[in-house]
Amino acid sequence: MSLVDLMSMAKPNEEMRKKILQKLHEELAYCFQCAKCTSGCTAFKLLELVPHEIMRLTKLGFIEELITSEIIWTCATCLKCVERCPQNVSPYHVIIALRNIAVKQEAKIPEAYLKAVSQILETGLAQTIEKVTTKKMESLDRQKLHLPEIKHPTETFRTTFLKILEEHEL
Amino acid sequence: MPNIGVYVCHCGLNIAGTVDVERVAEYAKTLPDVVVAKHYKYICSEPGQRMIQEDIRAYGLERVVIAACSPRMHEETFRKTVAEAGLNPYLLEVVNLREHCSWAHSDQPEKATEKAKELVRMGVARARLLEPLEKRVISVEKNVLVVGGGIAGIEASLDLANAGFKVYLVEKAPSIGGRMAQLDKTFPTLDCSACILTPKMVDVAKHSNIKLLTNAEVTNVSGFVGNYEVTVLKKPRYVDEDKCVGCGLCTEACPVKIPDKFNEGLSQTHAISIYSPHAVPKVAIINPEHCLRLKYGKEVCGRCLKTCEAKAINFEQQPENIQLKVGAIILAVGADVFDAAKIPELGYGRFKNVISNIQFERISDASGPTGGKILCPETGKPPRSIVFIQCVGSRDKRFHEYCCRVGCMISLKQAILAREKLGGDVEIYICYNDIRAFGKGYEEFYRRARDLNINFLAGIPSEIRSAPDGSLCVTVYEKVVNKLLEIHADLVVLSCGIVPRKDFNKISETFHVSRSSDGFLLEAHPKLRPLETSTAGIFLAGACQGPKDIPDSVAHASGAAAKVIELLSKGEFEIEPLKAVVNPDFCSGCGICKSICPFDAIEMKTETANEEKLVAEVIEVKCQGCGACASACPTHAIKMQHYTDEQILAQIHAALIAK
Repeated sequence: MSLVDLMSMAKPNEEMRKKILQKLHEELAYCFQCAKCTSGCTAFKLLELVPHEIMRLTKLGFIEELITSEIIWTCATCLKCVERCPQNVSPYHVIIALRNIAVKQEAKIPEAYLKAVSQILETGLAQTIEKVTTKKMESLDRQKLHLPEIKHPTETFRTTFLKILEEHEL
Repeated sequence: MPNIGVYVCHCGLNIAGTVDVERVAEYAKTLPDVVVAKHYKYICSEPGQRMIQEDIRAYGLERVVIAACSPRMHEETFRKTVAEAGLNPYLLEVVNLREHCSWAHSDQPEKATEKAKELVRMGVARARLLEPLEKRVISVEKNVLVVGGGIAGIEASLDLANAGFKVYLVEKAPSIGGRMAQLDKTFPTLDCSACILTPKMVDVAKHSNIKLLTNAEVTNVSGFVGNYEVTVLKKPRYVDEDKCVGCGLCTEACPVKIPDKFNEGLSQTHAISIYSPHAVPKVAIINPEHCLRLKYGKEVCGRCLKTCEAKAINFEQQPENIQLKVGAIILAVGADVFDAAKIPELGYGRFKNVISNIQFERISDASGPTGGKILCPETGKPPRSIVFIQCVGSRDKRFHEYCCRVGCMISLKQAILAREKLGGDVEIYICYNDIRAFGKGYEEFYRRARDLNINFLAGIPSEIRSAPDGSLCVTVYEKVVNKLLEIHADLVVLSCGIVPRKDFNKISETFHVSRSSDGFLLEAHPKLRPLETSTAGIFLAGACQGPKDIPDSVAHASGAAAKVIELLSKGEFEIEPLKAVVNPDFCSGCGICKSICPFDAIEMKTETANEEKLVAEVIEVKCQGCGACASACPTHAIKMQHYTDEQILAQIHAALIAK
């Protein structure tokens, strides 16, 4: 591409651009930058996620700066942007695709996400099994509460889960 | 066998850029009966047409095949060309090398050239069997039906009436005036809508050539161009139009209160009322759904009866069916305003101070519920800050994909009015995606708005919430300054777009007109025939064809009126000879053709010689030449002129033979 970002001298990544356009052409082509997604974005106020900017940067191919930044991991996946978009496009799907590229390229991924994956492989749950602290500062675990022990997932689950992750790669 | 001339058009590079026209012309020379074959840059040009005319004389051509663009484009042009050279115009065959070949296969020039050769071969095969035909002449009624009494219907009616035609203007509402009557000022000149519309409404009522039928609907249309028969249902008003003087005393006496439709539900009216302050005719009407006497019987209420000095109220009035004979019909049925309640995040319907742009017009209008003072509906106080939100329901794939064409200008106008009426202190914001100010004087109008300290925010709010202080909280990401802004507004105005009417389905059925994918009524050609429908003699005017502002509606309406005048002024006109012809000797009288004909153009009659035998007869003027009967006839007794079985079979044969 003949495009250069004069502030950083970065050039668009043509290969990634083509790849992502192939899968999400409609999302990226029809966005007309009304910024309604950003106006209502849950993650913007705290974490400055600007969905319409991500849409345009991805369309132009400035993908590297996105996948190396932490910004794509701030999306709360509330889907308000998808629900309200006047052009029926989904910034959410673009963000998820960018995350997948980031994983594939072994870019820096926030620890919490890696933790969640190993957690699922280990226990089958996205959440860690927590203890409860009562008002009397008594610590209670499942055993003390007479709750059944959580079974560890089988090997089949693990292989299926990993397979699904593979399949959802871009 | 006839002498045939073949002409291959380059159409600039439209055809020649893909198809090797020279090779196609060379190939045509090898076909039987072809005595001359040429290619030319633009056959539709004057020298191109002259070339054909000279060849007709020089080579004694009896058939002409022109391989060019779609026959929809230039068949009529070329028919005139050959007719001027003395050939019957129906001895021309147009082969479509553009839409059906070069444009469709622009990436495969070699195959496209082969296909072009085959198309020409087929054209020549059919041309050989073409028969000379004469156009038919039919007489017409010089009356016109105009449906819808908004500005488009009014303009069309006045134009036609002034040209000497008798016009029946049918309006569904109790008064004419339509949407324009609800507006305060009009952009970009800010002249008062009522001041320019009301005189025209009065002209309509007074014009000796116009018969005004309000509170009426067209229920049935039969017949054909020049000779339509129309049934109009005039619903009872329960008030005698000739006696009522429009004093309004009955309204004051009526105990039943209902939301005022003309004021978009912002105020209340009574079960008997005059539709609007400028209503034409200025006659009261009783709403049968709400009137106590009409609902519960003769002994109930009747207060209006006692107050009416003119003795105009008549509870015995019955619906009336009126039969009209007209030569042409203009549909000026208008459009609706988008219902913003369909977008839940905007809170329309939930928050009283979120209003639509048409409601703002009523608030701003001197004859509206607030007497022209801009007040918040909930608090009754003037707003200190107003937010306009653009593109509500338009440019929105979830609702209407198209641009409403008026939303931007309406909001600019309303912002200017708010500034003028509320003074310099009120904060005014317009949240937009693009400001589209494309008409004459519109961009200047946009500049005028900027001059009045109106804030433009590039960005569309995602939702409207109510703030603890009772104001409306609008959050919008402003993409020029890259800031998420929060505005506390007293009034939010939604720029709702123009949408197809809910009853368009019924209208399209009654009048046999199609609808386009956006839901509006479909014109015959988007560029070249925007006033006509595909049904001959039925025309479109105004916003029923697509979103339009007032200048566009008026221009469209005057255009439609001119088209009607063109059609009816001679008292008769020519129609295509493409019709079905029955051979009575072969007809078995089975009646399949009658049951299949979409135009009701076939009648079964008893034969004069043998009264037992039924024979199909084509009503010439009704027949549109679709060919359904000819293909359905089990005994091949019906021939479709200009598309005979022989002609079509010859074409198929030419398509299938080896090269």
